[in-house]
Amino acid sequence: MSNNLIGFFLLVTILISGCTTTNANTGYYWGNYSGTLYALKINPGEKALSRHINELQSIIDTSNKKGIKVPPGVHAELGYRLAQSNEKARAKQELSNEVLTYPESKSFIERVIVFLGLGE
Amino acid sequence: MNKHLLIIITLTLFTSCASNQWQTKSEAFPAMYDERQPVTVVVVPAINNTTAAEASNYFNVTITEPVANQGYYPMPVEIVRDIFLKEGIVDSKLIKGMPTSIFKKNFGADAVLFVTINAWDTNYAVLAANVTVGLEYVMISTSTNEIIWQYSSSIAVDTAGQSSGFIIADILSTAINTAVTDYVPIAKSVNAQAFIALPHGKYSKQHRLDGDQNVVYKYLKEAATD
Repeated sequence: MSNNLIGFFLLVTILISGCTTTNANTGYYWGNYSGTLYALKINPGEKALSRHINELQSIIDTSNKKGIKVPPGVHAELGYRLAQSNEKARAKQELSNEVLTYPESKSFIERVIVFLGLGE
Repeated sequence: MNKHLLIIITLTLFTSCASNQWQTKSEAFPAMYDERQPVTVVVVPAINNTTAAEASNYFNVTITEPVANQGYYPMPVEIVRDIFLKEGIVDSKLIKGMPTSIFKKNFGADAVLFVTINAWDTNYAVLAANVTVGLEYVMISTSTNEIIWQYSSSIAVDTAGQSSGFIIADILSTAINTAVTDYVPIAKSVNAQAFIALPHGKYSKQHRLDGDQNVVYKYLKEAATD
């Protein structure tokens, strides 16, 4: 019984992730976020970093095109990864986009800016 | 007469059994239905009590999505991890011992979410393979320091698909047998199952509408308290 149940959940999860591109409760679109993040984690390097950056950018572009809210943390992480690849101006822009989209992230983003040495 | 008695006994047993095992979300986690419910959540990198060193990676990369989809603002776990590392905190177990008010002060977080992996056992046989994942999730309020949500469970995920009869599982098993990265979907589905029991947050359409969902196993809640 429990095996069937797990099978069912797996099936549902896979169908949801395969067919619908946005979440039913929040409307967020995540693209292949966890996939490119995992690839970056196990095999860090310029190639994996730029793939993850492109994926984050594509999540933002797709969300804007669909007229839905960019998921929490996506602007922030894009800013963070851009800083890692030394694109400081774009990094700052994305970090402030996070605060514009989610004002409750202000303290966190300030902490990240200090951490990255992007403050004035 | 006897038949009626039997039906009544059966019904009584059934209802008492059901009420013992299940709780609604608002009964189990009342703090999530008043002003103590968090918006911003720091997700601490998973504490890994298993010998599978790679297990925490699978959970760290898949946990932000379901927490956000449930209506919260999770801070990206990899950024949080890097900040901790710079402060010299390598082991998440140390973070669990710290007063949670630190996260309110430093990150503006309303709550901290700890994930502990207690089992990650991969079993291979000729025709079947599965991974047993034992997990514990604990969410603590940074203002009151109390546990506001928790979930723990042990889930066996069939990675071979021979016994399940699901075509999808067969596809999945092929993927898993060919590349190690495909444990990511497994971690994803385990997380998805756990967060069914998490009351919906501010950004979800179901915010404050899911309190009477009877989805929390009582014993799970008690088991996670110690």
